[in-house]
Amino acid sequence: MIIIGEKLNATLPAIKEIIQQQDTDRLVALAQQQASAGADFIDINVGTGIGSQADEVQAMQWAVSAIQERLETPLCLDSADPVVLTAGLQAINHGPAMINSTKAEQASLDEIVPLAARYDAWLVALTMDEAGIPKTVEDRLQAAAKIMEAIDQHGVPRPHLFFDPLVMPISTDISYGLVTLNTVSALKEKYPEAKTVLGLSNISFGLPARPRINAAFMHMCLYSGLDAAIIDPLDDILMAAVTTGEVLVGRDRRCRRYLRAFRS
Amino acid sequence: MNPQALRIKSINYQEESSVNHQELIEKIAFNVIQGRLEAEDEGFDAGLEGQPAVTELMQQALEQGVDPKDIVIGALTRSMEMVGEKFERNEYLIPDMLASAECVGAAMEMLAPHLMKAGIKSKGKFIIATVAGDLHDIGKNIVAIMLKGAGYEVIDLGTDVSVDRILEAVREHQAPYVGLSALLTTTMRVMGEVVQKLDEQGLRQQVKVLIGGAPTSTEFAQQIGADAYCKDAFQAIDKLKTFKS
Repeated sequence: MIIIGEKLNATLPAIKEIIQQQDTDRLVALAQQQASAGADFIDINVGTGIGSQADEVQAMQWAVSAIQERLETPLCLDSADPVVLTAGLQAINHGPAMINSTKAEQASLDEIVPLAARYDAWLVALTMDEAGIPKTVEDRLQAAAKIMEAIDQHGVPRPHLFFDPLVMPISTDISYGLVTLNTVSALKEKYPEAKTVLGLSNISFGLPARPRINAAFMHMCLYSGLDAAIIDPLDDILMAAVTTGEVLVGRDRRCRRYLRAFRS
Repeated sequence: MNPQALRIKSINYQEESSVNHQELIEKIAFNVIQGRLEAEDEGFDAGLEGQPAVTELMQQALEQGVDPKDIVIGALTRSMEMVGEKFERNEYLIPDMLASAECVGAAMEMLAPHLMKAGIKSKGKFIIATVAGDLHDIGKNIVAIMLKGAGYEVIDLGTDVSVDRILEAVREHQAPYVGLSALLTTTMRVMGEVVQKLDEQGLRQQVKVLIGGAPTSTEFAQQIGADAYCKDAFQAIDKLKTFKS
């Protein structure tokens, strides 16, 4: 499982402060912590909600440069704005870079997919369109087909594509867990070269004992064939669920990683 | 049988029937709080499966001629207020609250033709929308259901609704209330545009603007000139009451 560390997100008050004050030490420390905990990518979202696009561009450049100077771990640039994404991509000096994200919306595809091609970046694509998040597997697959078409057309290699079939809280609709799991399976079957990613902790929003639900869902996602997860790598229970899930579905040959977890 | 006995019997019958009505209303209220729509449903508490729930009890109430107004006030409004208090105390979580809201929504639907026949008017039209660029609708839908239950005529414009469409709806329906939702820091600004455009087009005086959604706040509401920030559906109902007085 490719782990994308989600903690550097400006919608969290503590991170918003770090970004507004451009506190390089705290920024890098948080990136470092996530890398040490097993993050393969560090997600960076600098959208504080206040300030202009120029502020966001500047913040993205600052964050990318600051982290890349001190850390080998590649970055995942989190914005829907192609201008902010471009600024981040230009600041990157070692990859692979990941773009998070495009939607199956024409405007979004037209602007963001070419960026992935130009900068040889990996691309997260949400299986949703103008009409919102589709309720059914079929409609999410339809959005995926539209994404795939754009990817092929712009020459982004299919293995660089990460479909995000979207996780909605089961506290608001009990069908949401299964729809997402079934979409992951269907995507893996239909587009075996492409990858899948989920921000899976959203599944437990509004419920007590969230780590238990998240861990159970992680196991199910692994069974569905999920390739990557945008999660908090400092969450020990969830990271343990990655290890136990992978060994159960045969993604940990000779149980190496599972066993190593007990030796350390 | 002498006339006296008959009279007593009929009085008894009258009393019995109003007791029945009261009992039914209380049963409906209980099941709204339990969040049980149909007899097979589980409730907040264990062991209620199989007992008549809101749908069955409502049917019974309407067949027996219980005053629709009594149902709204005695069974739905009061119980939903209690659900709100429980939610506030964290005793109820989102699924509990949604289950109750679903019951109220279904009950209101069953009541609608009867309320119309009885000439009972709604508390006013309430236009609700998630603003342009934003597709989040969970919170907005909860507010819409709760306001319906509280007696407002809710006109739900959906998600990603343009400023112009919101204005058009206010004008077309002559709605005294409009509720705006946004979950993104990038889209919350659209709410300000709505207020500004209402002002420009001379509609601002006739409509109260309520806003909500994770990134918004009382300060933000003041900043953009909205009339109220509502933390959740229950606060929206409370705020609406203050406008009326």
